[in-house]
Amino acid sequence: MSQDKPDIKEILVTVKQLLESIANKSKGSERYDALCGAFLLSVVDRELDFGERQDESQSGELQQLLWGEGSLSDLYRQFCQQVRAGELDEQWPAAFDFAFKQVVDKVSVTNPKYLAEMHRTD
Amino acid sequence: MAELTEQQALLDSIVAKLELALQRRYGQAARVENVSIATLGASNRTLLFDLVEPAGRRRLVLRQETLKSEVSPFISPHDQFEILKVVYRHGVLVPEPIFELEPQDDLDVGYVMACVEGETLPKTLLNAPEFEVARQRFAAQTGEIFAKLHAIDPSEVAFLEKVVDSVDPLAAQISRYDAYCEYHPGLDVGIRWLENNRPKDKPRVFVHGDYRNGNVILSPDGIEAVLDWECAHIGSAMEDFGWVCLRAWRFGNIDQPVGGFGPRDEFYQAYTSNGGQAIDEEEIRWWEIFGSLRWAVLNMMQADGHISGVRRSLPFACCGRNTSMIEYDMLMTIKGHFT
Repeated sequence: MSQDKPDIKEILVTVKQLLESIANKSKGSERYDALCGAFLLSVVDRELDFGERQDESQSGELQQLLWGEGSLSDLYRQFCQQVRAGELDEQWPAAFDFAFKQVVDKVSVTNPKYLAEMHRTD
Repeated sequence: MAELTEQQALLDSIVAKLELALQRRYGQAARVENVSIATLGASNRTLLFDLVEPAGRRRLVLRQETLKSEVSPFISPHDQFEILKVVYRHGVLVPEPIFELEPQDDLDVGYVMACVEGETLPKTLLNAPEFEVARQRFAAQTGEIFAKLHAIDPSEVAFLEKVVDSVDPLAAQISRYDAYCEYHPGLDVGIRWLENNRPKDKPRVFVHGDYRNGNVILSPDGIEAVLDWECAHIGSAMEDFGWVCLRAWRFGNIDQPVGGFGPRDEFYQAYTSNGGQAIDEEEIRWWEIFGSLRWAVLNMMQADGHISGVRRSLPFACCGRNTSMIEYDMLMTIKGHFT
């Protein structure tokens, strides 16, 4: 990762400010597109903050739940296939809890304000 | 600028063909005036225009299908037009169907219907002071509309029996989800819950399939017309109840389950007092959870349009990440935290 300035976070803030300023001066689809662009950069910003930690934690939980190994995407695939096939029915509370935690992680990145009070960390 | 010119050229071409299509049906004197674009949307293109004849002027709507996808969840424009004719005949509040496009019109597939004046933007409907009366009436009016719709003999729309959502709506959603080859633990847990808690079979009725805040035209006095019949099929009446109460369609007014407008009791009472079948609240809850799966898959469809390059769009890119919030609604409803 480059040590030069501006760093990734600063670049994101800079472009996000530009998009917000375009949105403030625009109407209709141009305004909406600019707001969507700013929103997506916020998602990138939060994923940079939380993504790695969430991946590690989910990976550990899935390895334990599935008795399996592999990349996180492999583990997701195994989990989803086993849930659908009913192979995790006997561990339903644990399977549900993992899925729920994974969803809360995703919403924390996409739009943390959407979470109910009980799941907010801010 | 190039994009604007391209859009104008497309619009000019459509209007020229539309005028010829109208002249074939209403005589050489027919003209098109006052064209405006309602949507150049993800799945359809909608233009408003005046049909001008020597006898007078009438505001109409041209609706053309633009979504070309092998996994389209929408019924054909031909079937939509047939449905409009049936429900219009039964007095359901819909725009009058005028004519269906034919190959010689060279306007793709679609139809022309009457224009109904009013507002469809959900946030305007939920917040603007002039819609206060309409807001108060929405839940009960929707109950009345559902009662009338669900009373239509499904044999009048027998062609809908072949729609996959009529055969097994859950299997239909799972098949669409699988087509995108994405793995969402939240959705799969939700699917397993839905499979293990399927409601008992109910009488099969004609359901709208996409009745929600955003697909209904309101005037300050109340509901004027029900739009967007492309998800119509045959199924449980409770499916329509679950969809209109989906959290996503409350647009932030989460304490008003019926589209963000009103309470469930007024809605249910209006339905049963107008001849609708008994309400099954547990089944409605099942359909709300099902509705989250369906809405998540529709968002994946929009994101796929962006990622595949077929319909590049920033809002569609956002749809892909929005699925997480829909999954959250789904699991929170299963846990009993959301109602």
